[in-house]
Amino acid sequence: METDLLIVGGGPAGLHAAYVAASNGIKTIIVDESFSLGGQLRQQTQQLNNLPKQFGDQTGTALAQTLIERLTNLDVTVLLKHTMIGTYKDGRVGVSNGQNTIPIAAKKVIVATGAAEEAFVFPGWTLPGVMTAGAAQILMNREHVIPGKNALVIGSNDFALEVGKQLVENGVCLQGIVDNEVQLVGKKAETVHFLKEAGVPVYLDSFVKHASGSGEVEKVIISYNNTEEEMDIDLVCIGKGLTPILEPFEILNCDFTYEKELGGWLPQYSTMMETSTSSIYVAGNAAGITNLGPILLTAEIAAVSVAETLNGLSKEEANVKRELSWQELYRLESAESQNAFHARVNLMRSFQDNVDAQLTQLFNMFVGGV
Amino acid sequence: MDDSTIVCKCEEINLAEIETAIKSGAHTFDDIKRLTRCGMGPCQAKVCSNLVRQIISESLDKPLSDIRPPRMRMPLKPTRISALVGDEESSSVISVFSESAPKEGDEDHV
Repeated sequence: METDLLIVGGGPAGLHAAYVAASNGIKTIIVDESFSLGGQLRQQTQQLNNLPKQFGDQTGTALAQTLIERLTNLDVTVLLKHTMIGTYKDGRVGVSNGQNTIPIAAKKVIVATGAAEEAFVFPGWTLPGVMTAGAAQILMNREHVIPGKNALVIGSNDFALEVGKQLVENGVCLQGIVDNEVQLVGKKAETVHFLKEAGVPVYLDSFVKHASGSGEVEKVIISYNNTEEEMDIDLVCIGKGLTPILEPFEILNCDFTYEKELGGWLPQYSTMMETSTSSIYVAGNAAGITNLGPILLTAEIAAVSVAETLNGLSKEEANVKRELSWQELYRLESAESQNAFHARVNLMRSFQDNVDAQLTQLFNMFVGGV
Repeated sequence: MDDSTIVCKCEEINLAEIETAIKSGAHTFDDIKRLTRCGMGPCQAKVCSNLVRQIISESLDKPLSDIRPPRMRMPLKPTRISALVGDEESSSVISVFSESAPKEGDEDHV
């Protein structure tokens, strides 16, 4: 198969990048290993705030629908249940559907593979009944299965708290939120308020000492205030954050760098979202763990840059669009945390000499403001 | 955490085995992989990568930014050899594997 642009990953970043590129006349293929598009949006039933202006506020599932429906009538080929498994010597990307491996020759590739949930080790963490917060959310919202009766959430970031809230809403008895941090990591007041009203105990500066049971989790011992408390628990949800998925970048020879605030190791990239390998771009959480607004905007920047190099947009048009996207990205990302955006700028500066010159307006504003 | 706590679920490698590898001189994920098989199972270190890096960081008192992820290789997901070979009749690989290649209806047990 041949195409102008290959997008690896059909989540929010991949879908939005496909729309922006294809609307500018770029022939696009999206591959996704799942049986449907939308990625992690498919189980995000909660309302998403701080989206780019054009999207307003909507739930994750509604946003997935919006992003998918916009691709109708555009030159976008969607290959579901197709997984990128490697590359050929000549640069073609190898995609497998389980039966065959199909080489795709693309002029440009946007890797939008997103992030993986971090694991968290304690004695007994390998027992059935211990799962990531995201897995519990898939069970509830996609499979309509209650993941357990008596739950414990480990971690207190916004996502962990949101999943805690959804467990309560689905009738699960949430016995507690445990975190080794001394205060809640999550900042969303509404969710914190909900959990408080629901009477969910919060154990800070605490940790799970042991989970046990025959064949599945039955009991959990937590260490709290120098004492130990044993609880009857059949579901432990680990919500300790996300880390960018790196495998495709390594196969594509992209250089990595480390930025704690963006989720650890991740590919280096320029203000065009191009990696150290020419014609390979990155978008979404793979370019640094962030919120949905910036996820969509990195996709927009990557797609605009691809359209520019393939003559779908003029240099001037592309510059204007990119600058607006970066400004909105700055606004949305720094509204939640200044650190993530700082780390992003740091990453780009270490890779590209002329970051400041390229986005004079944005970075004058940014440097001046900090 | 105690010594018997599993860190790599796929290969059932526990904390003590990883710490022993570090004491024997391992200072990267790949060193530990070669000594213990940690990260060599079906998930190819997708779950334990950062857990092991954390243990290295604490044991050797080195920042996480100095400890790289493991080497990642093709195929990125478990893939049947028959799918890698494809359906090209002329493939010399397929003739070698045709006898052992799984048939339609064989179930994955990856």
